[in-house]
Amino acid sequence: MTNHNPDRADVCIIGAGASGATAAKVLTEAGLRVVALERGPWWQPDQFSADELANVHRYNLWPDPLINPRTFRASAADDPVVQLFCPVPQMVGGGTAHWTGWLPRMTENEFRPKSIYGEVPGANLADWPITYQELEPYYDKVEWAFGVSGQAGANKYEGPRSRGYPCPPLPPTRYNQKFHEGCAKLGYNSFPTPSAALSCPYNGWPATNQSAFAQQHGDPTGTRGNALTRFIPAALATGRYDLRPDCYVQEITVDARGRARSAVYWDAEGETVEQEADLFILACGAIESARLLLLSRSNQFPNGLANGSDVVGRNATFHEYSAAIGAFEDPVYGWAGGGYVGASTFEFLEHAEGRDFVGGCHVASAGVGIPLPISFSLPDKPTWGQAAKDADRECFNHTMAVGLVLHDLPQETNRVELDDQVKDAWGLPVARITHTPHPNDLAQGRWIIDRNAEILEAAGATEVWRVYIDKVTGNCSHQHSTLRMGNDPTSSVLNKDCRAHEVDNLYAVDGSPFPTSTGVNPTLTIMANAWRVADSIVARRGSPA
Amino acid sequence: MVANRMNETEARFFDDFQRRTIEAAMARIIPTDHAPGASEAGTIDFLDCYLSGIDFIYAKPDGSGFERLKGKRAEAWRQRIEIVRRKYLEGIDELNQRGRAEFGDDFADLASDQQDAILTIMEGPVREQQRAREEEQAVSGFTPPEPALQQIAAEIDLDFFPLLVLHTRQGFLADPVYGGNRNRVGWDAIGFSGPQSLAETHAGRYSTLPYFAETAGVTDDEAG
Repeated sequence: MTNHNPDRADVCIIGAGASGATAAKVLTEAGLRVVALERGPWWQPDQFSADELANVHRYNLWPDPLINPRTFRASAADDPVVQLFCPVPQMVGGGTAHWTGWLPRMTENEFRPKSIYGEVPGANLADWPITYQELEPYYDKVEWAFGVSGQAGANKYEGPRSRGYPCPPLPPTRYNQKFHEGCAKLGYNSFPTPSAALSCPYNGWPATNQSAFAQQHGDPTGTRGNALTRFIPAALATGRYDLRPDCYVQEITVDARGRARSAVYWDAEGETVEQEADLFILACGAIESARLLLLSRSNQFPNGLANGSDVVGRNATFHEYSAAIGAFEDPVYGWAGGGYVGASTFEFLEHAEGRDFVGGCHVASAGVGIPLPISFSLPDKPTWGQAAKDADRECFNHTMAVGLVLHDLPQETNRVELDDQVKDAWGLPVARITHTPHPNDLAQGRWIIDRNAEILEAAGATEVWRVYIDKVTGNCSHQHSTLRMGNDPTSSVLNKDCRAHEVDNLYAVDGSPFPTSTGVNPTLTIMANAWRVADSIVARRGSPA
Repeated sequence: MVANRMNETEARFFDDFQRRTIEAAMARIIPTDHAPGASEAGTIDFLDCYLSGIDFIYAKPDGSGFERLKGKRAEAWRQRIEIVRRKYLEGIDELNQRGRAEFGDDFADLASDQQDAILTIMEGPVREQQRAREEEQAVSGFTPPEPALQQIAAEIDLDFFPLLVLHTRQGFLADPVYGGNRNRVGWDAIGFSGPQSLAETHAGRYSTLPYFAETAGVTDDEAG
C-alpha cells in the first residue's frame, strides 16, 4: 500500500454509471465532497465509434471475457462454465454508454407484486418498501434533468405524473408505424417509447443525431442522453467530484465497530491505494456490487460485508429479451432507429387473473437483434450458402421485432456468488451466477410472444417467427435484486433508504436494491431511486453547503 | 483515403496454400450470384489481416488508422488471436483431408458442389447439437425455436465451421476500414445504405432520418 493515500472524502461512490453518476450529481450539488472510483476508462465522445465489428463483436465496450469473465450454471448441481452472462460496459457511463435508452416508468401496481399476485410457489416475492407516489417526484426530476422525449398521457396504464415530458416524442419510424397499426387493429393502447434521445434541442444540448449505430455503440457525436453527457458533467461542474477512472476496488474494509472504513483499490498504474470516507455507496451494477461485498470479508463479516443475513447475492433477477419477428412486403428499415427509437404497449404489463402466469411486462417494437448487418439473423434461416444470402437480401430491410423484457420472478436459489475456480485478470474470484427460470417466467414469455406475433400479423406481416425463451442469459444487461431493500433485516440487505441494515454508512443505488425485477426497463427507476437515496443522505447528514 | 487504408490492412498470417483454401471456402459461405459475394468483398483479406497480430483489432473511431493496444487488453487479444489461428490451421487441414478423401483433391481445387458437400459435413456436428436441443425443447412442450436473440457464445468458444461463417460475415458486412466489404459491396448486397465512412459517423454527418416514416419530417419540424 502506498504511503500517500488520498485525503478522506465525505462520500466514496464505487462506480460511475447511471446510478453512481446520479448520486454524484445530487450529493456534490448539495455541497458534499465525492470521490468516485470507476474500474474502467473515462472516454470522451470522440473516442466512441459507429463500428459494429469493434463494438458488438470485439469487446470494444463490452467486457472482454478473457479479462473480466463470469461463470454460469443452471443449478448448484451443475458445473459452472465461463459465460458472458448479463454483461455491462465497465467504464465511465456504464451501461448508458451504449444503451437502448428506453425510459418507461414502473406502474403503481409494480411496487406491490406480493400483495397483488399472492403467494407463488417457488418464488420469493416481496412488495417494495416504497410506493410509486414516493418515487414519482424523482422520476420527474430525472426526466427533466436528463431530457426525455415522450408523450405524456399516451400510455394509459402509467401512474399520475406531476407534469409531462420535457421533449416531444422522437420522429416516427416505419417499423413503429406498423406496431401502432397492429395495436390499433387489436384494440390495444400503444405509445412512443420514452427515450433518452432528444427530439429537439434542450437545456443547451442539441437534438440527437439519428444513426443506425446506437444500441450497443457509444455515441461519437455526444448528442445522446446518457450519464456521460448529463450527470457526470453536472457533478464535475460543482468542483467537488473527484472522478478517478481505471481504479478497481478490491475490498471495502471495516473499522473496529464494523462500519465501512475504506475502499482499497488498484489505480491505473496498478498501485494499491486506500480511500477513506464517511460513507460508501455501491454503484457497480447488481452483480458486481454483490461480488464486492462478498469479496470484503473481515472478522466482523466472515461471509462478506453486510451479509450476516446470508441474503447478499440471492434473489437475483435479470429480465430477458426476446421477440416475435415479422416480415413485411414493404421496407420497414428496422435498423434506421439504431435500436433506439421504439414504440410500446403496457397492455401485457399489469397482472390479470385468468392467465396461467402472474405479472407481465413492457412490449416494444424495434429492429431485429442489434439490428445491424453483421449481427442480423433470423430464426430457421440457414447461416451460409446461397439460401443464407437470399434470406439476408430479402429480409434485412423488411423485418422488425416486437420484443419484451421478461419480468422474471425472484427465487432464493438464483444468486450471485464468488466462483471458487475462475479468477479475473487481477486474480480476484469472478462472479458465479446460478439461475434457473421459474415456470412462471417461461409461461409469461410464451404467452406474450404469442400476443406480439398477433400484433405483427394484424399489421400485415407476411411471415412471423416466435422466439420463445427457454433460459435466461442476461441478454438485456438488466440486473437486479441482489441486495434487496426491505423493512425486515433477515430477508433484505438494505433498508428502504438503501442503507445496509448491518452497516450504517454503506449504501447501494444500482439495480441491486430492487426487491423484484419489474416489467419495465430499469434504468429510469435506478436513477430516480439513486436521486431519492442521495436526498436522504443529504437530509440525514445535514447539508454542509 | 480508402486506398491508403487498403495498404494498411495488407498484413497477413496465412501462407499461399492456407489462404487459397480459406478463400475458396468463404466463396461458398457467401457465394457470388448476380451480386458480389465474399470473393469480391475481399473477406479473405479481412481475415488474413485480423489474424496477422493485434495491430488491426480496433479501427480508430474516425477511421484514420488503428488503435495500439496496451496492458491487459493487448494480452487478452494476443491470447485470443493465438487460439483462433490454431483453429484455422486445424480447420484448413480438415478441409483438405476431407477433400482428398471424398473427391481426391485439395479443397480449393474441387468443384463448387463438392466443396459444398464437404462444408455440409463439417457443419454436421453443429447441426446435430441444434437438433438435439430442439428435440429437448419439443419434449418439454416447446415448439422448436432458435435462440437468435441470445448471443452468449464467445468467439474463442466457436468450432472452426461457425467461426469461418462468422468471419466471412464480418468480412462481408463490417466497415470497409477493416479490409473487407470492399467498395461496400456487402452492404449493397443486402440493401444497407450504410455511412460513406467512419469519419462521416464520427462527425455526425451520417443520418438515418431519410429511412424513417414519411411523416417524420413533419414531427421533426414541430419538435424543432
